[in-house]
Amino acid sequence: MSPTVATVQAETRHGRVLVSIAGEIDLDNADVVEEDLVAAIPNDTHAVTVDVNDVSYIDSIGLRILFMLAARLRTAQIEFSVAARPGSLARRVIDLSGLAAVVPIDGETSGESEP
Amino acid sequence: MSDTHTSSERLGRLQSVTDAALAHLDVDELLRELLDRTCELLRVDTAAVLLLDEEADVLVATAARGIEEEVTQGVRIPVGRGFAGRIAAEKRSVILDRVDHTTVLNPILRERGIKSLLGVPLLDQGAVVGVLHVGTLTSRAFGDADAELLRLVADRLGPTIVSRLARSQNVSTLALQHSLLPARLPTIGDLEFAARYVPGGTAGLGGDWYDVFLLPSGALCVVIGDVVGKGLRAAVVMGRLRSTVRAYALTASDPAEILRLVDRKFQHFEPYEMATVMVGLLDPNDGSLALSTAGHPPPLLASRHSEPYYLDLDIDAPVGVATEAKRRSTTISWPPGAVLCFYTDGLVERRTTPLDERLEALRAAVTVDPPETVCMSVMARLVGTTPPADDVALLVARRGAVAGKSPLRLTVPAKPASLRVIRSELRRWLSSVGAGTDAQYDVLLGVGEATANAVEHAYGAAVGAIEVEVTLDGDDVLAIVRDKGRWRPPRGHDRGRGSVIMRAVSDDVRVRRAPDGTEVVIRRRLRP
Repeated sequence: MSPTVATVQAETRHGRVLVSIAGEIDLDNADVVEEDLVAAIPNDTHAVTVDVNDVSYIDSIGLRILFMLAARLRTAQIEFSVAARPGSLARRVIDLSGLAAVVPIDGETSGESEP
Repeated sequence: MSDTHTSSERLGRLQSVTDAALAHLDVDELLRELLDRTCELLRVDTAAVLLLDEEADVLVATAARGIEEEVTQGVRIPVGRGFAGRIAAEKRSVILDRVDHTTVLNPILRERGIKSLLGVPLLDQGAVVGVLHVGTLTSRAFGDADAELLRLVADRLGPTIVSRLARSQNVSTLALQHSLLPARLPTIGDLEFAARYVPGGTAGLGGDWYDVFLLPSGALCVVIGDVVGKGLRAAVVMGRLRSTVRAYALTASDPAEILRLVDRKFQHFEPYEMATVMVGLLDPNDGSLALSTAGHPPPLLASRHSEPYYLDLDIDAPVGVATEAKRRSTTISWPPGAVLCFYTDGLVERRTTPLDERLEALRAAVTVDPPETVCMSVMARLVGTTPPADDVALLVARRGAVAGKSPLRLTVPAKPASLRVIRSELRRWLSSVGAGTDAQYDVLLGVGEATANAVEHAYGAAVGAIEVEVTLDGDDVLAIVRDKGRWRPPRGHDRGRGSVIMRAVSDDVRVRRAPDGTEVVIRRRLRP
């Protein structure tokens, strides 16, 4: 039985760290995704965007990571946003979870991060 | 005046060529026979018929007597040039008593040793359709009386040739049409098809077609279209257009992109043609149908859940009219058991009845019955016993109904790695019952939360089993998640969120806790 797989990739654009997650996140790999995500964010950055547009499955367990990250980045005074396109499964679950109350949600990664 | 009498008597014999005795001859045989009689009548050595190719503006040698090589060598004379070209351009008879390179373009006439020539235009309803000319190997002064007699012959020949040609073109066009329409419509998965094609009556055959084929990706391509124009030419253009759509369907995966490429090719190679085309690509995995239409009327969808309705598509420009026209695709969900009815305007357009009335009649005629039945009913109600003036093409397709669709039953170890397996089975099952994207997401999330909760909390240190059962209950998906563990309230800071999400994505959630296990029953409507 192959494990649930998600890949985490980070790049820096104009001082903003853009982390893109692709694949599925569930109870099986949530810990790994959390570790990868935290490792991808250097502590000298000012802003982070996590792009979940290529995430084909995420539920409350995966959202727990985003809530946790929001709390930590707030403490570290790092600006945080999430990119999730309306109509996607990720956006559906984000909207239902109330994540928008603590993190700004955009459809795409915002234009200011374009090179 | 005995000469005139003899002439009219002879003319009478010529007239007989349009009679029943010669009715069975094809155009070539008929022309040969007519030319024989013409030679006899005018006492000349050669006779030839050249027919006008309007598109190329040339006269093409079609039948000849005494100068047969005109035909075998495919002589073509530009309108306006040479002897025959002048007759066609000036629409009057021409007499030549000197045949050389200054008067005659066609070397065959000169080499043959023709000394005198007389030619008249062939007319049909006042329009030049060709040239009839006669010649003699000895010098002869053709006079007005000869020209008058040849004109009388031409008057009879013109309409006869045109109607014979039209008839034989009709036969060719019909044969071509038949060769281009799928001989047998494919049965693909749970899809059934039926179609009708009826050639137009008064206005003649046209360029309507439909096509259904599988692509290597597994997607099914459905095409319907209508080339503007009539007759063999429209059918030939249609054949090329049909091939073009097929070719681009192999390389492009979006209907709008296919039509964009088709349009570019069409405008470059067929600059004076125009056509309406609709292309649909059916994804067999989830039953979604992406449609793009180039000026073609939208299909009608009939299902058990709603009144039949015309799909609300973005209708873009026909192909062949605008460079880089905007092309858009619309993706619809094709519910199981639902019927899609594609048609060409010949079915719904009648000069005597408003279009709205005809569209309403079609709407009333389309039911969720098997496609053959739907075709019969549509043709009976919209065409009836009156032959349509324009071509009619009709393509009806139905997705298999889900009634009796077997439920999904899974028993997996209560381990995190099982969750992915459940999702993957669930996705496949949901698409097989025609669940739309939103319903799929919601059922995946609801079942995902319930099963994740069971994995985390049902068994403690031991590994038990989780049962998942998903069935269709009318228009609802009913998902049951069972474990045999002792239920324990969710723990941890964020765990209440799973339950909130599960309830939010479902129309109804019931949790039954018993000492010997927990059962979560989730209900979600398949369609809004």
